[in-house]
Amino acid sequence: MRMVKFLKMLSISVREGTATRKYPFESPLVTPEFRGKIEVDPVKCVGCGACTRICPPKALTIGNEGDEIVLKYFEGRCIFCGMCAYVCPQKAITVSKEFELATWELGDLYDEVVHTTVKCRICGKPFTTVKFVKEVEKRIDNKVPEDLLTVCPECRKKLTARKIGSKVVGVSGE
Amino acid sequence: MLAVSDGGKPDLTMSEFALNKLEEVFTKLKRSVWVFHLNTGSCNGCDIEVLDVLTPYFDVERFGIKLVGSPRHADLILLTGPVTIKTIGKVVRAVKAMPRPRLVLALGSCGVGGGIWFNTYATLGGYPQLEKILKDAGVEVDRVVYVPGCPVRPEAIIYGVAVLLGLLQPKSKHRRVSAVEG
Ligand code: SF4
Ligand code: SF4
Ligand code: SF4
Repeated sequence: MRMVKFLKMLSISVREGTATRKYPFESPLVTPEFRGKIEVDPVKCVGCGACTRICPPKALTIGNEGDEIVLKYFEGRCIFCGMCAYVCPQKAITVSKEFELATWELGDLYDEVVHTTVKCRICGKPFTTVKFVKEVEKRIDNKVPEDLLTVCPECRKKLTARKIGSKVVGVSGE
Repeated sequence: MLAVSDGGKPDLTMSEFALNKLEEVFTKLKRSVWVFHLNTGSCNGCDIEVLDVLTPYFDVERFGIKLVGSPRHADLILLTGPVTIKTIGKVVRAVKAMPRPRLVLALGSCGVGGGIWFNTYATLGGYPQLEKILKDAGVEVDRVVYVPGCPVRPEAIIYGVAVLLGLLQPKSKHRRVSAVEG
């Protein structure tokens, strides 16, 4: 009886062939929907930080490094959800099909885009990127008051408070 | 601090061994690697992919890679998950129980960098954080390979093992570029 079962299996396996993938010796199965590592286009990226806010595991971060603002991508923590590509206003992020990312060095898993900065007119602190300011100017037809583009948010708050204060007290000027 | 009781015998520091003999051992290891699957609190996504690698579909036994039930028999630990606080003691003990050379494959975005649980109160945040604790406990690990993915693809695990054994050179490189004015 057992032998008969075995023979049955044999005929099935002859019909179905080998199930095992040859993977390292053949290309992996990658479907059109497959999402791998993301790539940030340094030409298109303006450093707005929208992608860093949507990223669930904060694999994308943006921060000041001295006089520069650096957009950092840590592949090691990325969950390959593609939300950053969806949300980027500049369409600077593309989702590639790359998934063979294994490495010995944790440092190899970082990609960085370095932005030049605009310094605050009042306190001198770098607060945004040159490209971001240019993009904002372009999008709203240069109708932004100079203050909004050259003063950092903190100084702007103080400036506004002082303006309101001077109106209430009735003293003109800053 | 950590409960790493193992008969009270201190682990030997064998960094000279790691430096001099490791390559030699690797040539032997090319014959076969026995792996121990260590779940440090993962969501089971990566664990299912590890099982996938062992099924006839990917059949890693064609490379001599075999799953064993005890870290004492293993060359390589497949570490999945972000290392929850509850598991630290057991994870350290499992790694310590491995004979030298100790190899670790940190799997998944959790294993590599903590994944979406990188900064919660209940997790350490992946292997890089665990490494510090292992050092404090005097447990040396000879080689680590980080394999990102959420979950890691079975192909990526096979690729990771190949990188670990030095059969392939890693493709990932640190990239730092200036944002060009466009
Ligand atoms: S959202 Fe796009 S433009 Fe903004 S920082 Fe991210 S990649 Fe750059
Ligand atoms: S793909 Fe998802 S996890 Fe990865 S960087 Fe983009 S938003 Fe973050
Ligand atoms: S990397 Fe993703 S699939 Fe793997 S354990 Fe973490 S959350 Fe789960």
